[in-house]
Amino acid sequence: MTQLQARGVVRAYGPTPALRGVTLDLAEGEIVAVTGPSGCGKSTLLHCLAGILRPDAGEVTWRGHRIDTWSEAARSRLRRTEFGVLFQFGQLVAELTAAENVALPLLLAGTGRREARTAAFTWLERFGVAEVADVRPGEMSGGQQQRCATARALVTEPRVLFADEPTGALDTLTGEQVLTQLVRLAREQRTAVVLVTHEPRIAAYADREIVLRDGLVDHTGLGLDVPLAGGAR
Amino acid sequence: MRPTTLVRLALAGTRTDTARVALTALSALLAALAGLAALTVLAIPTPAATDENPNRWSEQYHNALLVEPGLRGGTAFALLMLMIPVLALAGQCARLGAPARDRRLAALRLAGATPGQVTRLVVLETGVAALLGTLVGLGAYLVGRDLLHRPDARGQLALPTDVLPSTGALVGVVLGLPVVAALATALMVRTVTTSPLGVSRKAARERGPGPWAGLLIGFGVASFAVIRPVVHRFDDSEELAWLVPLLFAVGALAAMIGVVTGTGWISYHCGRLLRRHARRAPALLAAGRLMADPWAGSRTFAALLAALIFGGAAAAQRAYFATKDQLEREQSRLAGVDGGANPFYLSTMDLVDGAVAVAILIATGGLIVALVEGIVARRRAYAALVATGVPRAALSRSVAWQALAPAVPAILLALTVGTLLGRGLVAEVSTGVSSTAICEATAALCDDPATREQYTRIVHTPEMRRAVPVPLEHLAWLGAGALAAVLVTVGVGLLFLRASTALDELRTA
Repeated sequence: MTQLQARGVVRAYGPTPALRGVTLDLAEGEIVAVTGPSGCGKSTLLHCLAGILRPDAGEVTWRGHRIDTWSEAARSRLRRTEFGVLFQFGQLVAELTAAENVALPLLLAGTGRREARTAAFTWLERFGVAEVADVRPGEMSGGQQQRCATARALVTEPRVLFADEPTGALDTLTGEQVLTQLVRLAREQRTAVVLVTHEPRIAAYADREIVLRDGLVDHTGLGLDVPLAGGAR
Repeated sequence: MRPTTLVRLALAGTRTDTARVALTALSALLAALAGLAALTVLAIPTPAATDENPNRWSEQYHNALLVEPGLRGGTAFALLMLMIPVLALAGQCARLGAPARDRRLAALRLAGATPGQVTRLVVLETGVAALLGTLVGLGAYLVGRDLLHRPDARGQLALPTDVLPSTGALVGVVLGLPVVAALATALMVRTVTTSPLGVSRKAARERGPGPWAGLLIGFGVASFAVIRPVVHRFDDSEELAWLVPLLFAVGALAAMIGVVTGTGWISYHCGRLLRRHARRAPALLAAGRLMADPWAGSRTFAALLAALIFGGAAAAQRAYFATKDQLEREQSRLAGVDGGANPFYLSTMDLVDGAVAVAILIATGGLIVALVEGIVARRRAYAALVATGVPRAALSRSVAWQALAPAVPAILLALTVGTLLGRGLVAEVSTGVSSTAICEATAALCDDPATREQYTRIVHTPEMRRAVPVPLEHLAWLGAGALAAVLVTVGVGLLFLRASTALDELRTA
C-alpha cells in the first residue's frame, strides 16, 4: 500500500532548477534508493518528501493528505512522530551524551525521562554502541556517531526514514556495517526508507532504485548493478 | 610576508569579519573616550590654598565632583570603571564570526602560511581595528572638547574643557589600548592550533570548575572588612598610608574575579542539576551546553556582573549617606534646630548610579553579541534538529534556559558581594557628640557680639549610632534591571534563532 506520494514536484533555488517534475510512490516498509550525479536534485527531493522544503509546484501526499500545504509546525510534528531523518554528519547535539541524543525525540514527544532513557539504551544496544551511551559525540568515532544518529532516527519507530548520504562520511567497511544494521532494523519494524546516495554499492541495499538526472527521474530499476553486501536484502 | 600583505590579509574577510572589526573599533573608541575623560578629570590643577579659597577648590566649574579635589579621584575611578564593560564588549566582539575566520585561517595555512604568520594576522586584525577606534575616539574627544567649551555668565564650565591631559597620557591611551587588545588576542589564540585542515582548541577539562572562586570572593570581602579597622588603627601612620588603597584595589579585584569565575562554577552546577532533573528536551539541551562549556557563562556575563558588583557597593554607600543624613537631621531636631537635608552626597550617588546604568547598558550590548554569535555558530546543528522535527519553540526554550539558569544565581551573587564590599566600608553610621550654640533672641541681638552670649545657650546632644540598613529595594531594582537586560538579550537572540534554523542552512552551511 502506497504511503507517501510525490506528484510532479518542482523546486528551484533562485533561477537554478533542482527538481523539474518528479513523481514517486513509496509503499509501506519499502526501501527506495535515490541516486544520480551531484547536483541532480537527490537531497532536494528527500527534503520535499520529508516536508523539510515546500515544493514550488506539484504535491506531496502522506496517507492521502497533502502535506506540502501544511504549516511548518504541522510538518515539523509529522517529522517528529511519523518520520525519521538522518544526515551525513553534524546532526548529533555535541553537548549531549549518546543516550541523551537518542532519547531527545522521545522527550520531545512527551515520553517520561526514565522510559526515554531505557528506550535509548535499547536502541544503542541494537546498533552495538551501548558502550558509548554516556560519551559525547566528540569522543566517538565516525561510525559510532552515525550508529547513534541512526538509533536516534529510529527510536520513535517512524513509518518512513529519510536518510541523506548516511554513510558518506564513513569508510567502506564501517559504512556497510551501519547500513546493514539500518536496513535490518527498518525491515523488522516495517519502516520505509528513502535512501539518498551516489554510491551504487549503497543503492544495492534498496528494493528499488530511482535515478535522477537534471531534476527529473531518468529511470527506475531494482538497483542490482552491484553485488549485494552482507546479505542485506 | 610583507607588512602590506599582512595588513591586507588581516582585514580581508566576509561581512561578519567586517562587523567584528567595526565592533572592535567601536569598543576601542568608547574605551578611549572613557579613559580620556578620566585623564581629563585627573588633569584639573588644584590651586594653592588662599584665604579666599582655603579648601583649594577649582571654582571654574559648576559641578562639585570637579570642584573638590578630594572627589576628583573617585570621579576618575568611576569613569575608568566604565572601561570594564566596554573592554568586555570588545572581548565578545572578538568571538564574532569565529568559525568563518577559523576556516579562512586554515585556508591560509593550506596556502603555505606558517603558524606564526597566522597568529600575527589575528593579532594584527584586533590591533588595527582597536587603533582605528582609539584614533577616532581621540578625534571625537578633541572636537567634543571644543564644542562643549561654553562658559556661563559667571565664567564657569559644565565640563573640564579648559584642561588637556599631557601628551604622554594621550598617546598612552591611543596606543596603549590597541596594544592591550592585541596582547589579549595573542593570549587567547595561545590555546588554538591552526592547521591546514582546520582550527582546533585545547580540549576543555571533563570535570567542572572547582569552588576556589569562593576563596577569592571571601578574600575580597575580608579585605574590605578590614579597611575601617586599619584606618582606625593606623590613622596617623605615614608609612602605612599605602595599605588602604592596596586593600581596596586588591579586595575589589579579587571579589570581581571571584564572582566572574564563580559564574563558571554556577553554570556547571546549574547544568548538572538540570541534567539530573530535566524532564523536557529544552532543559536537557541547555544542561548539556552549560556543562560542556561552563566558562561561557563567565565570559558572557563578566561585564554585567562587574557592573552589578559596583552597583551593589554603590547601593550600600547610598544607604550609608541616606542614614547619615537622617541621623544628622534627628540630632539637629534634638538640639532644637531645624537641620535641612544635605543632598550633596546623595546627588553624587545619583551620578554613580547613572554610571552603573550605562555600564549595564553596554554590558547588554556584549551579551547580545555573545548570544547571537553562539546561535549563529551552531546554525547547522539547529537546522538539523529542526529538520528532524524538533520544534523551534523547544530550541527557543533551550536558549532561554541556557541564558537564565546561570544568570539568576550569578546576578544574586554579584549583588550580594557588591553589597558586602560596600557594607564592609560603611556598616554603621555615627554622628559623634554634638554641641550646638542656639541664640534665642532677635536677629539683631544675636548678631551683636556684645549681646549674643547673653542669649545663647549650648545644647549638647549625645552621640547617635545606627546600623546602615541593607538597601533591599535598591538591590531589587538593580537585580530586576540586570534580569531585564538578560531577557532582552534572549529576545534578540531568539530573533536570530529563527533565521539560523532556516532549513536552507542544511544546504549552505
